[in-house]
Amino acid sequence: MTVKIKTLERQGSTFIEKLYLVEVFRGMRTTFGHFWRILLDNSKSYVRHYPEVKPEITPRWRGRHRLTTHEDGTMKCVACFMCQTNCPSHCISIEAGERVDGKSEKMPIRFEIDLLECIYCGYCVEACPMDAIRMDTGIYSVISSERSSVVKGMDELLATPGAFSEEDYKKRGL
Amino acid sequence: MAETVKLFVNGQEVEVESGKNLIDAFKVIGVEIPHFCYHPALGADGNCRMCLVGIEDGRPPLVPACKTPVAEGLKVQLDTEKIKKIQHDVMELELINHPTDCPVCDQAGECTLQDYYMTYDHQASRMRVPQVLKGKKMDFGCGVIHDQERCVLCARCVRFTRLITKTGELGIVNRSDEARVTTFPGRKLDNRYALNVVDLCPVGAMTSKDFRFKQRAWFLSRSSGICHGCAKGCNIFIDHNREKGGDDRIYRFRARHNGLVNGYFICDAGRLSYHQENEGRLGTTRLAGKDCTIDEAVETARRKIENARKPLFLISPNCTLEQMIAIKGLATARKGRVSGYSDSYIMEGDGDDFLIRDDKSANRAGFAALGIDTTLEAFRLALNEADLLVNFNNDLLRSEASGTFTEKLSALTVIAVSSHDNTLTRKATVAFSVSSYSEYGGTIINQDQILQRFTAAVVKNDPVPNMIEVVRLLGGPVTDDVTITKAMQDAIPVLAGIEATAFPTAGLNLKEKETDHVTA
Amino acid sequence: MSQLDILMVVLRVAFGAFIPICFIAIGVWMERRGAGFIQDRLGPNRCNIFGFRAGGLVQNLADGVKLIFKEDMIAGHIQHKFYFVLAPVLVFFTALVSFAVIPFADTLILGGKSYIMQTVPLDIGILWFLACTGFAVYGIILAGWSSHNKYGILGGLRSAAQVIAYEIPMGLAIVSLLVVYGTVNLSEIARFQGQLLFGFIPMWGVILQPLGVVIFIVAAFAETNRTPFDFAEGESEIVAGFHIEYSSMKFGMFFLGEYVAMFVSSAIIVTLFFGGYQIPWLATETMVAYAQPIAIVLMLLLPVITYYFTNWIRKNNVSHYNRQNDPLVREANVYIKICWILAAAVELILLTLVVINPSADGVRIFVVLLQMASFLLKATIMCFVYVWVRWTLPRFRYDQLQKLGWQILLPMSLVNIFITSAVVVALS
Repeated sequence: MTVKIKTLERQGSTFIEKLYLVEVFRGMRTTFGHFWRILLDNSKSYVRHYPEVKPEITPRWRGRHRLTTHEDGTMKCVACFMCQTNCPSHCISIEAGERVDGKSEKMPIRFEIDLLECIYCGYCVEACPMDAIRMDTGIYSVISSERSSVVKGMDELLATPGAFSEEDYKKRGL
Repeated sequence: MAETVKLFVNGQEVEVESGKNLIDAFKVIGVEIPHFCYHPALGADGNCRMCLVGIEDGRPPLVPACKTPVAEGLKVQLDTEKIKKIQHDVMELELINHPTDCPVCDQAGECTLQDYYMTYDHQASRMRVPQVLKGKKMDFGCGVIHDQERCVLCARCVRFTRLITKTGELGIVNRSDEARVTTFPGRKLDNRYALNVVDLCPVGAMTSKDFRFKQRAWFLSRSSGICHGCAKGCNIFIDHNREKGGDDRIYRFRARHNGLVNGYFICDAGRLSYHQENEGRLGTTRLAGKDCTIDEAVETARRKIENARKPLFLISPNCTLEQMIAIKGLATARKGRVSGYSDSYIMEGDGDDFLIRDDKSANRAGFAALGIDTTLEAFRLALNEADLLVNFNNDLLRSEASGTFTEKLSALTVIAVSSHDNTLTRKATVAFSVSSYSEYGGTIINQDQILQRFTAAVVKNDPVPNMIEVVRLLGGPVTDDVTITKAMQDAIPVLAGIEATAFPTAGLNLKEKETDHVTA
Repeated sequence: MSQLDILMVVLRVAFGAFIPICFIAIGVWMERRGAGFIQDRLGPNRCNIFGFRAGGLVQNLADGVKLIFKEDMIAGHIQHKFYFVLAPVLVFFTALVSFAVIPFADTLILGGKSYIMQTVPLDIGILWFLACTGFAVYGIILAGWSSHNKYGILGGLRSAAQVIAYEIPMGLAIVSLLVVYGTVNLSEIARFQGQLLFGFIPMWGVILQPLGVVIFIVAAFAETNRTPFDFAEGESEIVAGFHIEYSSMKFGMFFLGEYVAMFVSSAIIVTLFFGGYQIPWLATETMVAYAQPIAIVLMLLLPVITYYFTNWIRKNNVSHYNRQNDPLVREANVYIKICWILAAAVELILLTLVVINPSADGVRIFVVLLQMASFLLKATIMCFVYVWVRWTLPRFRYDQLQKLGWQILLPMSLVNIFITSAVVVALS
């Protein structure tokens, strides 16, 4: 691959440009053009009318987390603490215990994600050896009037369904 | 240093101690030879074949490093293709039936198999047939959980029960891929050192029930400490962790090697004694049973000590020499008596000839070194005369035998300076909460006259003061490091010749001659 | 003093006090929506009272309520609490009182008595303005210093240096202007600009002093701490500069003070260079003489303007996404009705003026109202220029600012004085 070289002309050395005032007026002409355009017809603005118009979420989007389950409804998580270990913002806290559903030996008895601390980097998803945690709920706005309700516990994380089909999720990034 | 020999490792000349095998000798100079079954305390078994090394121009050209003593001019090869191939093959063999359940395995993070895989193997599995399934989560007794699938059959645990405890509960049955470690039917592990197999096991086959799923190994901070469970003073690792939003907490003790004191092992009771560091603590300073600030408590306590005619200062045999010196200084200043009476700490007949001792206190020898009286007669006399008892962490009423004092104690005013909540602190007019041995550092002397130093391991979110600090607040004159060090050197002259930085890590044997410790 | 005298005093003071304060709301609104439009956004448009958003003006109300009810705290490290509290008051108050000398209409003659349409009929005029705006910077310096904060003191220092650098060209620009006008009284200056040059060009300051306008406007931007000269705040460099430690309404005072200052300096620019209250080619006496034809023209123009304006409302006050039973359309309909009702009311008033031949006093009042409208319109446009410049130009570098002040504006203003004086002497 050859390197493309684009030579940029150095601006600002002519007398007119050095005068500055002319350039100021040119700039003001540009901004006034935008002003006038929107003033006459504000449907031309480049804004989405959130929250009425929602953005489209792709499978690659890292939304709120959820814990996945096996087909029989038992949770996939085995409390290996990989997500907690990798979490750069220390927002995950897990307490492990004996497994009771006969799948393996270990499962979390407490699994909490503090979404106020989470930075949505997705490291937990990448670290998980069991594909037990995903960020595919499509939930991008977590708001609450009290802190405690933003700390999501195991039950809520397990109950939230994924927003995409299994095929779409697997295809993400490919 | 002992005699040395010169030999070659990968063509490079090195000088190592003679009389050792290759693994141990090279470990000292920082060259690692991978091995599963060899353990310095259990000797070479040679069953894992992981430590095979090449000998250039040697007959045989391939030897197990654990069984090969160092010799002058030996040309050892560790990095030839052949050796690497052997290591790959051994690792592949070990991993054929390994369940690779690292996510649920407590050993993950401190697992030899994991480490060796990353260092020497790093290959994908070629196995396409179902794995052999064996017993999982088998309760072997004594708090040991065994997982046969994870086992690499190094037989360290088997050899431990045969060679060290001489109880021989464990054995390997069957052959080839059906071979497994197990107990005899109806006879579980039954000895007081059984949990050492958890430390010994290079993989996650032996795990501790007590520690099971409590923490991942990589979260733990490993600090060095000394077990205060008995007069042996075994060296330990204090594994602790401050979880998010929680306090610094100990999760386990592990044996730390010290050839002078305990070797490679510790007893189960000592291993589990970390529970006492986490629980039953006197969390707050109390005045007449109610929580108060330390200033209020100090004010009351000082007044009481000043007004007392004959105060009696009772010291715990677990106190460090520094604490004892500080308390003694306070007692001298207040014209009180000092006693180290602590027969309640002695459990006659409990000890054995290995590590466990009758005396369940860590620094009784310190009383003798500092000339503190510990006799029952002197204590009883002093108690009868005293009008105030200042008790420094001595759990006087811990055994039945001490019941005779209860009547006298109820008539006395008691000031308790204690790390743990006990009968005396509940009865005390003023009870100061102080740190326990995982939270402070100091010097102790064990029953075998070995003087050891340890440093603070755990730092609590709201640290309680050291006992020396409380002594200072109560008006003790000897509380700064310089004076205490001076007093300690006066009591134990051999210390005067040793720089603080040059203190031997294994401890100082006071029975030996003074000149042995003066480094040239 | 007659009752009329007292009424006139009250009216003028009320005008002088409330117009700048009303313009805070308009200024903030213009700033936000202007910024939005310039950046192809919409600006604040969600706040409403019973669904009525008044084009985003309700947002100001919400912000005001928020500022008032925020915790008003003084940080513990602040030692000079009195100065700390005094600073925002000083900024706001000086900005407000500097409006007092600006004439917003020609002298009103009622019953043979003339009333100067200025809040405070002072002869010193422009000097009062210079004194007041010069004093405002003390508020900023005081705020920066008493905040006991590195960013604060940097903001204060920058402001001080900037004011020194720009007050001089500003003063010199005014000097050359005074040479032309021959007076410092702003009423007289405004009246002077009612004349015509060569019989057809309005004799505005901008025509007579083209260089002076540039110098004065640049210096006025610097004086009001507006972009590209907002070094005292310099968000990206010194966080918030002088008002970093301020919260709640104390911060609000700075905020309001800035917009009052913006309006007042717009007003002074208009008065000095853009004919003040003068309507081009319509001198006061002309208007008095031809009151009825002017009223008729207005009566004809008003429905046309209202028609286009209501159409504009109908087009833009809708939801730009699929929405059932759009409430914004209902809102627009209400606005349109209000517009037509207002237009009808004005038509009615104008009709009375045309049909019933009013007294001389009535005509005079009509003219004064027209001139006030002219003045406010000009000031609003100038305010928009402030906004427009802010969202066009980035902030200068500090050395560029000082270089511009000392090396360009100062010599230029001196040259301007020289040329102006020469021309004036030659002409007389």
